[in-house]
Amino acid sequence: MTTNAHVEKKRLENPPATIKFKIQRREKEGAAAHWETFEIPYRRNLNVISALMDIRKNPVTIEGKATTPPVWDMSCLEQVCGICTMVIDGRVRQSCSALVDDLLLASGGDTVSLAPMSKFPNVRDLKVDRSKMFEHLKKVEAWIELDGSYDLGPGPAISNETAQERYALSRCMTCGCCLEACPQYGDDNYIGPQAIGQARLFNMHPVGKTTIDNRLNGLLDDDGIGNCGNAQNCVQVCPMSVPLTKAIYETNRDITVNALFGWLKK
Amino acid sequence: MAIKFSNTFLLRKLHQITGIVPLGIFFFVHMFTNSKAMNGAANFDKAVKEIHDIPYLLLIEIFGIFLPLLFHSVYGVLISSEAKPNVLNYGYGRNWFYMLQRATGIFLFLFILFHLLNLRFGLIPGLTEVAVAGNADKAFSIVASDFQKTWVLIVYILGVVATAWHLAYGFFLFAVDWGIVIGEKAQKMTLAGCAALAVLLSVVGINAAFAFRSPCGLMPKALCEAPAAPAKAAPAGPTKF
Ligand code: HEM
Ligand code: SF4
Ligand code: SF4
Ligand code: FES
Repeated sequence: MTTNAHVEKKRLENPPATIKFKIQRREKEGAAAHWETFEIPYRRNLNVISALMDIRKNPVTIEGKATTPPVWDMSCLEQVCGICTMVIDGRVRQSCSALVDDLLLASGGDTVSLAPMSKFPNVRDLKVDRSKMFEHLKKVEAWIELDGSYDLGPGPAISNETAQERYALSRCMTCGCCLEACPQYGDDNYIGPQAIGQARLFNMHPVGKTTIDNRLNGLLDDDGIGNCGNAQNCVQVCPMSVPLTKAIYETNRDITVNALFGWLKK
Repeated sequence: MAIKFSNTFLLRKLHQITGIVPLGIFFFVHMFTNSKAMNGAANFDKAVKEIHDIPYLLLIEIFGIFLPLLFHSVYGVLISSEAKPNVLNYGYGRNWFYMLQRATGIFLFLFILFHLLNLRFGLIPGLTEVAVAGNADKAFSIVASDFQKTWVLIVYILGVVATAWHLAYGFFLFAVDWGIVIGEKAQKMTLAGCAALAVLLSVVGINAAFAFRSPCGLMPKALCEAPAAPAKAAPAGPTKF
């Protein structure tokens, strides 16, 4: 469990005068990628997005070559929308909440590397197309059928325990970290943990349960849940602490009980 | 709406079952039989002879061992080829275990091939030309003469340790893949149990290998001595009921 207590952040004792950003550039989808390095003055409380904004103001590489301003996505700037996700110093995370001091303390150097997520089509520079995740949500029917011709009245009550677990699952912001870090995801042969977590969210709902077969079917395809290799990177990197592996294993149990052994009820 | 399985899903489940039921059980039995070498050549040869005398042996070998092994290993190599390993950037414990399951799997593929050619068929140049199969009376001496070579002994020890880990962690994978073990705490406990099983199987397997070089292997001789004969028969007398 994470605590909400305020934690004093560690700060660089003797920050360098300037810091470097090594950024992977790509002009457009399909074009070849290359790296460019920029140098900006260090200042207190820089995060990766504010550093990118500094670079954008004067896009000149350390070799003195004028270039195009780097392109990236951002919106909420407080780690709730997930759109600014990228690979920072080799690890996937949100760039808006990546503090430069933390990165330099971790690496011990004065350079930060930025690359787009590798498991999604790279639109340009640090920007990727994550629409595949929404296709996956459609495939597992990550919703509840509510519309009818008359008022169905209030739904059944949910136990506190279930409500808590569903809340944790509902925190997913579709950022893609879990898919980027999953060693089984990529090449379209695995649907990935994000969709499994959301299928579980709606399978746990008393009304959603009535269509559990549809969601399990979405997970039993050739790219389905069976391809998880239990590396558990997903749950480690998820910035919203979505209980992904628990969702995967609970869904495995649903499949074993309802589907694999279901024929024994016939 | 009924539930429909894809072929990939069914093959994955079959891969998991074949790892546990025929292959896992076989490994336990195999290490138990090997350990009979601790009690001397005659004891081991007798054990091999008993296996050779099992009824339906050929069918059991084909359907109980060879075909499951062939399927599990070929499909296992295919699964491994789909991996996009990233332990350098995401060095979590489970991620290393994920890698290790694939690494041990591929090593086992080569090891089992070598093992079969060596002892089942006697086809590895420089090692025994007499196969153990069909020569139960010479089983101990065939193995013992190959195990005199240090490199052979090392290869077999690596094979035993790799199999022990692959199987023990395989039990863990089975438990989560079939939804038997779910929560974090339950996973930790299961993993600890599996690690203990891996150590146990390794120790038993390694000691059995050394038993072909010296009686009782590396274990204290007391474990292998025949139990002392009863001191003296109880004085005969009227039996009370
Ligand atoms: C001979 C070559 C072998 C290869 C290439 C191989 C490969 C693999 C791979 C890649 C996995 C992981 C599957 C996944 O995570 O989805 C696996 C799982 C497993 N293997 Fe093997 N293996 C081999 C031999 C063996 C042997 C000899 C045994 C038994 C002693 C065994 C028992 C298991 C078990 C129990 C699992 C767990 C299945 C699960 O995921 O639930 N394997 N194997
Ligand atoms: S489960 Fe976590 S890591 Fe995965 S998409 Fe949702 S918020 Fe991101
Ligand atoms: S447990 Fe591992 S293989 Fe399964 S979804 Fe998570 S990261 Fe991917
Ligand atoms: S901009 Fe929304 S999470 Fe970073």
